[in-house]
Amino acid sequence: MFWRILWRLLYASRARLALAVLAVASGAAVCAALLNLDLDATDKLTREFRVLGANVVISAPPSGDAAATVNLDAIRQIEELRLPEIVAAAPYLYLSGDAETEGNRAAVIVAGTWLDEVSRMNSWWKVDGNWVSARENRSECMIGEQAASRLGLIPGQSVKVHYAAREATLRVAGIVTAGSSEDSQIFIALPLAQELAGMGERASLIEVIARGSASEIEDVIGRLSIALPGLEVRPLRQLAQAEGRLLERIRGLLFGTVLLILALSSLAVLAAMAGLALERRRDVGLMKALGGSVRTIMRFFLAEATAIGFAGGIFGFIVGMALSEWIGERVFSVSITPRLIVLPATLALMVLVSLAGALPLRLLGRVRPSDILRGE
Amino acid sequence: MMAALVQVEDVSKSYGGLRALDSVTFEVLSGEWIAIMGPSGSGKTTLINILGGLDRPTSGRAIVDGVNVGTLGERQLTRYRAEKVGFVFQHFYLVPYLSALENVMLAQYFHSIADEVEAAESLVRVGLGDRLHHLPSQLSGGEQQRVALARALINHPKLILADEPTGNLDEANEQIVLELLRELHRSGHTILLVTHSPEIGRMADRRIELAHGRLMHIVANLT
Repeated sequence: MFWRILWRLLYASRARLALAVLAVASGAAVCAALLNLDLDATDKLTREFRVLGANVVISAPPSGDAAATVNLDAIRQIEELRLPEIVAAAPYLYLSGDAETEGNRAAVIVAGTWLDEVSRMNSWWKVDGNWVSARENRSECMIGEQAASRLGLIPGQSVKVHYAAREATLRVAGIVTAGSSEDSQIFIALPLAQELAGMGERASLIEVIARGSASEIEDVIGRLSIALPGLEVRPLRQLAQAEGRLLERIRGLLFGTVLLILALSSLAVLAAMAGLALERRRDVGLMKALGGSVRTIMRFFLAEATAIGFAGGIFGFIVGMALSEWIGERVFSVSITPRLIVLPATLALMVLVSLAGALPLRLLGRVRPSDILRGE
Repeated sequence: MMAALVQVEDVSKSYGGLRALDSVTFEVLSGEWIAIMGPSGSGKTTLINILGGLDRPTSGRAIVDGVNVGTLGERQLTRYRAEKVGFVFQHFYLVPYLSALENVMLAQYFHSIADEVEAAESLVRVGLGDRLHHLPSQLSGGEQQRVALARALINHPKLILADEPTGNLDEANEQIVLELLRELHRSGHTILLVTHSPEIGRMADRRIELAHGRLMHIVANLT
């Protein structure tokens, strides 16, 4: 009989309750979307941040010799470690040289590296033209957009690179916009840079991209330090801390918004239920006259509020998952996967919100049947 | 000698400065049909509400089936209403979104357990076997009052309290409802019925006449 009466109550007030469900569903959609983003996007953003350049640097320990370099055996040792957290690693040999085109000559930083790793190490770069795909391509280079601008270069043109008394002529495959110091550099194959510098199998430093949480990266650094005893392995702390602060702010914003939405949903339910409480005064008075206890009668109304929260929560979850995918792609540029754990969380929140919004119905417990039957 | 089912002893009821009942005393025997009569504002409905546990007397004792209604706590009053009395109101007071059958089952549910078969039988007894699943809005006034009667009887109450049950009915439906009340009386139910109608008053075993909250006369009708 309880469910039969509950169904009749829901059906009788369907228009008013539909509005309440809509309000809860709207709130649930935003909450589910933000909770899903919090779970999925922050994880993916963490990974994305890891791709924003290297987060571990290996170099020779500081010494009086400014030109301290790293033997390339080190990078082979890193590869042999086969650490799953390491996404990419590349050696860099930096030279302070000149670049020359017809009529233009400018000082540039020449970065010799594994050209095939440039795209993996710097996937966020904007490139006008092409990446260089062969590691030891001695005929092509990539150049930062500030350096290209000073030299008046466009992709396909040639540039002559000078270092000490040596030089090399290269075709510009692509112009790089990184928004950092790389915009003033020219990227050439490591063996060519080594030839210009007149040094063997050595580099200024090795950059590594490691994926994982802060503790996992600490662990990678520890293992690299053990494997490379003569070298200094350092995290790029600035970037990691900035990532952490940004993620904390995003998370704070998400939770603040969720709390605000919950409060607004609760107010919407409260408004709908206040109207319903007025409508139901007569029915409650009659039920009491027939011997219905306050507890029994209130159970109907609380079940009604729970049903509103449940229905709104389910609709909201479905819409929220779509919303989180949309926000993920548009705002964070990451693909979001719906997390099922968000469903019970959303349902629980929405049922609580609806029960809080149903507080005016508690006033019905004070209705005196004699007043109602007297027509007051 | 038959025992008194209802004992009203010096009952008064005041609403602020207004004295709705003033030292009313009478008894109702088990199986009796009592008509409570009097002009508007004479305290008839107040008396019925006190006996039905919907209101409490300001002073005096209202005892029904050995229970002093005025001393019951809120929970005990709820059980009292569910178990001891059956109400029939002038304005029917059916729950509008429940069918005739469900309105009767609602009283069963508040009493103990809803029994659909028994509820349907009670509606068949009042001539509504073909109206079980109709909503109150789909029933005539007479039919709604018969649903209210079936609801009042479903839990086998000791006392039936009817507040002008024919006040909103046309003559044909009035006769149907009165015939049902006669049947109930014949089968031994105790009925307290508020009415303005002298004809209905004469159908009862006794008439209690109130004026300005005071009991003026108790008249036994000749059968």
